Amino acid sequence: MNELLAMPREWLSAAGEIGRFMGTVLSDVFGARVLRFSGETLRQAGILIISSTLIIWALMFVLGLECGIEGAYFLEAQGAPAYSGVFAAWCDLREIIPYAFGYMLAAKVGTGIVAELGAMRISDEIDALEVMGVDSMVFLCATRLLGSWLVLPFVYIAGIGGAFLASYIAVVQQVGVVSSGGFELIFWEFQNPTDFLFSLTKAMVMATVIVLVGCYYGYNASGGPVGVGTATAKSMVLNLVLVHLIGMMGTQIFWGQSPKAPIGG
Amino acid sequence: MVRSVAERAYLPARNLLEEIGDMMILTGRTIVSALRPPYPYGGEFVSQFLFVLKLCWFPLLISTLAICYAAPGLQAANFLTLFGALDRLGGIFILAAVREIGPAVTAVVLAGVAGTAITADLGARKIREELDALQVLGVDPVKNLVVPRFLALMVATGLFNVYAILFGIFGGLAAELVNHQPLGPFWTTFFENADTTDLWGSVVKCTVYGAIIAIICCYKGMTASGGAEGVGRAVNQAVVLAFLAVFAFNYVFTQMLLATHPEILVIK
Repeated sequence: MNELLAMPREWLSAAGEIGRFMGTVLSDVFGARVLRFSGETLRQAGILIISSTLIIWALMFVLGLECGIEGAYFLEAQGAPAYSGVFAAWCDLREIIPYAFGYMLAAKVGTGIVAELGAMRISDEIDALEVMGVDSMVFLCATRLLGSWLVLPFVYIAGIGGAFLASYIAVVQQVGVVSSGGFELIFWEFQNPTDFLFSLTKAMVMATVIVLVGCYYGYNASGGPVGVGTATAKSMVLNLVLVHLIGMMGTQIFWGQSPKAPIGG
Repeated sequence: MVRSVAERAYLPARNLLEEIGDMMILTGRTIVSALRPPYPYGGEFVSQFLFVLKLCWFPLLISTLAICYAAPGLQAANFLTLFGALDRLGGIFILAAVREIGPAVTAVVLAGVAGTAITADLGARKIREELDALQVLGVDPVKNLVVPRFLALMVATGLFNVYAILFGIFGGLAAELVNHQPLGPFWTTFFENADTTDLWGSVVKCTVYGAIIAIICCYKGMTASGGAEGVGRAVNQAVVLAFLAVFAFNYVFTQMLLATHPEILVIK
């Protein structure tokens, strides 16, 4: 019986730890304590732009292409190829592109933070920071969170643009089931600024959670070089589960059972 | 000036190409040493397979349920409600769960959960110089470490795909129930549209994903270097590369399958 209960108890205590850690980092950011290290914040934002942006866009673009071909072939089979735009618009903006963003962010940025902070923890650099009187939580975690908040909305918006372009290329140029104007008419008709805002909210919640989970696992890494690798792998597990759950809850809350489409009742 | 710019652009490109070439060589060596006797990797294969199974079943369950409930479930149901044709959701689930989302989520979870664990494991062995010690003892690391992981991940990804499709359909059922629909029409349209081509396409696709993930993760683990940060960085690069490779392959494969088997597209 005890063995059966050991695993849920472990999960619960880990969830509590992570929750407390996230609360501390968020209060550091909102309490403006992070502003003491605004230089470091900007440096983290710069690193994010230079090292991760292109790769995140690449995955979003590829998934935009996939939305395009699936939509084109599916609606061609329905006998309504002119409506490929609906599939592309909803698939891109509402569902798949936030997931693509979450996946690549978890893979590139999340594990990158774990590897970096974990290495600092193992080589006692974090303790050295504390000894020098620097609040290591603020300096390492809060600056990364604020840095990602500064950059990622724009990365995501530009990435959505890339995915739209990819869907257009797939539907109009590659499969060629609908004319350019016909595609665009339906495509823009079936989305609105609210959808865009909801999609952005979804992606930013994912981004916040991913960065915080990465910071948690890196900050609390232990067990030598092997421990850093294990912590990196573990962070990826939690991130993937959370990305999917956030995506589901976002859809349920924002769209639920109202289509928000320009046709029908 | 021109020279330095050219070098900055040229070096990363050359490194990337070299890495891809090395991975191809590793793939070839893995396949050859998997087929050529002796076969000492049976025990390791079983233990790796069970390891992947134990690690992945729960994240995969939650992920497929969540994504299939939300994306093809709720959103497609929204679209179909406009026409009063909610019973058609079963047909959409063939497209969504079986052909596209099932394999994609399986690949993402396997790469993120099992792939990272494999890279961390092999990377740790590389850092502690265990791989060199194995070679000194006359044990081939490719045959004894890479081959069992390659085979285990291939088999596990292919089988997990069926599991993911199953739970994806549960997500669809949940979406139907949320919309207060009877489940009978869902199953009717589902099985009317179901096609063996779709299923084998999905399983073959996923098996190849497993091979891609295994090669990338083993390669990155075996070439990890640079102490504590090295293993973490290896895991990071492995999972990024695996995602990109899997989705690039997915695009090509889906395109080929749809273009060469037009009969699976006919809505019945």
